[in-house]
Amino acid sequence: MTMETGMQELLMEFLKTLPINIIIIILSAALGLLFAVLLTFVRLKRIPVISQLADLYVSFARSVPGLILLFIAYFGIPKVLPLIGLGTYVISPMHAAIISMGFYHSGYISEVFRPAYLAVEKSQHEAADSLGYTPMQKFFRIILPQMVPVALPGYGNALVYLIHDTSLIFAIGIVDIMGTAELSISRSYGINQILIYFIIALMFSAMCFTTDGLVRKLEKRVAIR
Amino acid sequence: MHVSYNQKEVLKGINLSVEKGEVVSFIGPSGTGKTTLLKCINYLEKPQQGEIQIGDLHLNYQSLSKQDTLKLRRKTAMVFQMFNIFKHKTVIQNVMDAQIAVQKKSKNEAYAMSLKQLEKVGLKDKINEYPSRLSGGQLQRVGIARGLALEPELILFDEPTSALDPELVEEVLKVIEDVAKSGMTTLLVTHEMDFAKRISDKVVFMENGHIVEVGTPEQIFEKSVNVRTRQFLKKIYAEQDQQKLNIKGG
Repeated sequence: MTMETGMQELLMEFLKTLPINIIIIILSAALGLLFAVLLTFVRLKRIPVISQLADLYVSFARSVPGLILLFIAYFGIPKVLPLIGLGTYVISPMHAAIISMGFYHSGYISEVFRPAYLAVEKSQHEAADSLGYTPMQKFFRIILPQMVPVALPGYGNALVYLIHDTSLIFAIGIVDIMGTAELSISRSYGINQILIYFIIALMFSAMCFTTDGLVRKLEKRVAIR
Repeated sequence: MHVSYNQKEVLKGINLSVEKGEVVSFIGPSGTGKTTLLKCINYLEKPQQGEIQIGDLHLNYQSLSKQDTLKLRRKTAMVFQMFNIFKHKTVIQNVMDAQIAVQKKSKNEAYAMSLKQLEKVGLKDKINEYPSRLSGGQLQRVGIARGLALEPELILFDEPTSALDPELVEEVLKVIEDVAKSGMTTLLVTHEMDFAKRISDKVVFMENGHIVEVGTPEQIFEKSVNVRTRQFLKKIYAEQDQQKLNIKGG
């Protein structure tokens, strides 16, 4: 096997495993967004006990490294579920990755959404209230459109962090691009190590650039003139 | 309309009735509770107790449901000191939105009504501008058009010219005067004494959360026998004279 064909094969393997990263990114971003909306709502509503728990959760999610959350999800969930009477359950590494990354992400973006909500002036609430909007109408027609431009840059940042953190998922045995790289490096006794890492770096970079570009585009569209 | 209101700190038992079509101005020192009173009427401020009646709607503040609050707010419109124009919407969208959301009008109906109101306040050529491109006086006129477009039974002006540059005050007062003369029931909190005197049917002088005196403009401004009313007016007029002197001297 010449070196060139070896490299070609490796690139093919990378392209085959890249969708695993992309799926995990998209699903944990979606899960994170959903959960962050819920969290932020509860935190802003100041419901006794529940709001404090949500605050605590956000602080926790933001203070624990992603890798550790990943291990907690992968090894912890199968141990906890029987305790609360849900029977024995072996969690797949993919599920563990999506859950832990999603929850990790939700902590970050809840801390983006909350200040964005608070950045909308009280005068805008007063005006909508005085005109007889219901709370839902007020939120969707007046408050949300003014929150989005404030939140987008921070949200884009959080997405980039999420993409970076998926480089950890090979630690629980998922063969994504990082896993492929590690396997290939150990197979070839470390030859091409630097080159392989460089390729991975480019792939993560490409994902981040794309995300950044999309967020920028959106920012331009929702900017308040 | 009848407002009674009891709150230790700000308003201490207010009782007032206003006839349909009447124009009532509230004057008095800053921090007296004039704005609070106005905001209690549409429940932006929440009185601890009291009752309100607007037309056939009779409500008790202590047992106000969410539906009651909406009903109350939909009978009134408020024009704010700081304009409170929706920043992400154009002038015409500002005026249209509540008609579509709250009154369930069609877009066309709302557009026609908005255009009519914006024409009245002299902003027909600005309908597609964003608020960031308008002057304070123009923003306030959008605010008035937005309120009028909902055809409320009662319009509340909360110091509508206090945040304006002096040269813009006149254009807004002119519009308010038109509203007042159109037969709309109007409550106005203001520091523009000459204006209040000119347009009001009734003037309310408030101090420290109490209504001190209610009367016709003539009674309050010229014939008041109340010591506090006279002191307040004397002080206001002295300040105005001082300003005029400064302008001449400067």
